[in-house]
Amino acid sequence: MTDTKLDTTITGVPGTSRVTRANLGARLGPVIGMPVGIVLLLVIGTLLSDRFFSVGNLVNVLINISILGVIVVGMTFVFITRGVADLSVPATVAVGAILTLGLQPAIGTFAAALVGILAACGAGVVSGILIGYARINPVITTLGVSTIVLGIAQWSVGGVIVYGSDADAQAFVNSRVFGIPVIVIIFVIVAVIGHLVLSRTTLGRWVYAAGSNPDATRASAVPLARTRASAFVMTAGLSGLAGALLGITLQTARPAIGVGYEFDAITAVVVGGISLLGGSGSIPRAIGGLLFVALLNNILVLHGVPTAVQGIAKGLLIVGAVSLDIYLRRKGGRS
Amino acid sequence: MTVALEMRGISKSFPGIRALADVDLVARAGEVHAIVGENGAGKSTLMKILAGVYQPDAGSIVLGGSETRIAGPIDARKRGIGMVYQELNLVPDLTVAENIMLGATPARFGFVRRRALSDAASAVLDAFNARIDPSALLGSLTVSQQQIVEIAKAYAQHPSIIVLDEPTSSLSEHEAQALFHIVRRMRADGIAIIYISHRLREVLDLADQVTVLRDGQQIDTRASDGLTAGEMIRLMVGRDLTDIFPKRVVPIGDVVLEVDGLMRAGAFSDVTLNVRAGEIVGLAGLVGAGRTEVARAVFGLDRAQAGAVRVDGAELVARTPAQGVAAGIAYVPEDRKRDGIVPSASIKDNVSLPVLRSLSTAGWISRSRERDLVREQVETLGVSPPVIERAVDTLSGGNQQKVVIAKWLAARPRVLILDEPTRGVDVGAKADIHAIIGELAAAGTAILLISSELPEVLAVSDRIYVLSEGRVTAELDRTEADEAAVMLAATGEAAHA
Repeated sequence: MTDTKLDTTITGVPGTSRVTRANLGARLGPVIGMPVGIVLLLVIGTLLSDRFFSVGNLVNVLINISILGVIVVGMTFVFITRGVADLSVPATVAVGAILTLGLQPAIGTFAAALVGILAACGAGVVSGILIGYARINPVITTLGVSTIVLGIAQWSVGGVIVYGSDADAQAFVNSRVFGIPVIVIIFVIVAVIGHLVLSRTTLGRWVYAAGSNPDATRASAVPLARTRASAFVMTAGLSGLAGALLGITLQTARPAIGVGYEFDAITAVVVGGISLLGGSGSIPRAIGGLLFVALLNNILVLHGVPTAVQGIAKGLLIVGAVSLDIYLRRKGGRS
Repeated sequence: MTVALEMRGISKSFPGIRALADVDLVARAGEVHAIVGENGAGKSTLMKILAGVYQPDAGSIVLGGSETRIAGPIDARKRGIGMVYQELNLVPDLTVAENIMLGATPARFGFVRRRALSDAASAVLDAFNARIDPSALLGSLTVSQQQIVEIAKAYAQHPSIIVLDEPTSSLSEHEAQALFHIVRRMRADGIAIIYISHRLREVLDLADQVTVLRDGQQIDTRASDGLTAGEMIRLMVGRDLTDIFPKRVVPIGDVVLEVDGLMRAGAFSDVTLNVRAGEIVGLAGLVGAGRTEVARAVFGLDRAQAGAVRVDGAELVARTPAQGVAAGIAYVPEDRKRDGIVPSASIKDNVSLPVLRSLSTAGWISRSRERDLVREQVETLGVSPPVIERAVDTLSGGNQQKVVIAKWLAARPRVLILDEPTRGVDVGAKADIHAIIGELAAAGTAILLISSELPEVLAVSDRIYVLSEGRVTAELDRTEADEAAVMLAATGEAAHA
């Protein structure tokens, strides 16, 4: 009976005791699930193909995810504030890429990239104001802003491909420092800063609170609209950066350059176990999801699996991850 | 009287916790059987077993004379058990009639028989003497009317047993009377009623039998005749509470909060009141009189269209909660789940939320300063368990409320507005919260207290303003305030008297 006494005082309501078996799964699952999954993939990949577990292949995987990873960091903020998702990523990536290459001859690559990123941020400010202050549905807003911004981008370059003119910049982004590709370093820096902002700053705390319970957050004197808007500004800016990097590496940019990045970013965040309902998640978890998807893709490619089947696998992964999230939340007693 | 339900030797354990130990419950037809106990005493577990949500580990359930296994909520309903939970389970976009008949909609070939639907619903509402239009959209009704619809929905199934779980927790005393009428009507129909409530006075008024649970144990079951509220509390908490609402006498200082002619269209108008340092001022009135709306507008959650709010003589254009907080106002909201807690966040993150900026340098949170501040508040308020990393949604209702109060004390307010601070909170936590309020007043905080529980307002307040239909209809001093005077003003009768 001493047990009863202790436990009811802790939880108040019998049956919602903190550590039940189901609850344990819900609370531990997200923490250990992803590392275990990634290790599993590494083992499976090694068994299936002798080309898989080599420095060259794994570094290639990292290079391939770095540009997407920069966007994933922003998308994680959007998910945690319960902003659903930012569908304007293809447009802001295109803005970053097109402006970087287009302005390159006039003002130099670095300044051009900066302008591209700022312009992308501008698109994010528009989305953010509409979503945060006017409270328009994020999906509709970002779709609309995306269409408009893409239209402007297309119009400004006359619908043709823009070519780069700075081979040095390309060489720099593709170079390596102590064997680590520069592009991977940029991604890691963005991820670390994103993680610190989310976990250690007032803005980060507000992001979590806004996603978990917006009403209580507002009633706690938190600038709710600004917090929500900032997640979209950040995603737009990081997409602009991703676009600039993409433009510099490819030295070509067309308006459709960013198409598909929005869904790949959403896939990574969702597979990382971050809920669409907001209020929880972290950058490491989103990157775990990103790595998982990338490794799976890599194994499928090395194994010569047709592209169509790769798509099916990715789709199943999203549906599976979301179902698992909902299931664990129900078991954990949260709805 | 015939026994409708007998639960014998019911035990139920969850991993690491014994929720119910050998509990007996006998409900007779035409009798109101109240179950009382602190939060976590096992009331809801017992009712969930009756509703088929949980299966008991031991014990038996006898319904209408034969031993039964209740397989699940649908099975429970088929066997004549009607459940009315505290949270309303209604569809706002359907009509009253459609809601009442939800799940038992009369239909032929899949098409709703509209006439039969409306007749059946009207019959139930007539039986309740409720003046509610069956064709009105549910969302257009007041909370108390919706509560009646919820009961009508259970009643329409012709149950032999109805369980009412905290039916009055969101009703004012006046509205609760209408509900009591319905309970008595159902009792006269020969329904066995199981009634769960924290409001002990209504338990004494309504119940024929009272069962007291504490920590999953059945402490006593006895006839309500001769039982007193004090005796019930003693049984519930296992100790004597000599005074439920002790009042501390503290020196009262200058006016801190001044509200002058505040108006918000459709909610309240010309509200003028003031609160002095160290003073506890009650804001009484029926649900819907505009008390919460006034509080929200003073704090800055809603916008007032006319009037002024002053703190220490300085007028503030409180248009956002941030400005309210900057002026020294704190608001503990009525709806804890909606406006109070961030459920998945920790106690620490909840408590520091309004003061995060002052704990940060250029946006970077000082974790040590945050931890110290939260630990201090958690200790002062006696939040249990005092583990600041624990997620708030794992705490009991009373402790969640303490976290919300801690959050606002951390902001060191000059004016503290408490809106229904003890609703749905068990007796022990209630006493704690009253003690905290007393201490804050002693420390010179100006306190504005909103409560639907009249005895609470009367016992704690130095002065009481009564609101009726959005207007201040009375200002009563502690010495002249009693239930009759407040109710007279609250129902708008004082103006005519």
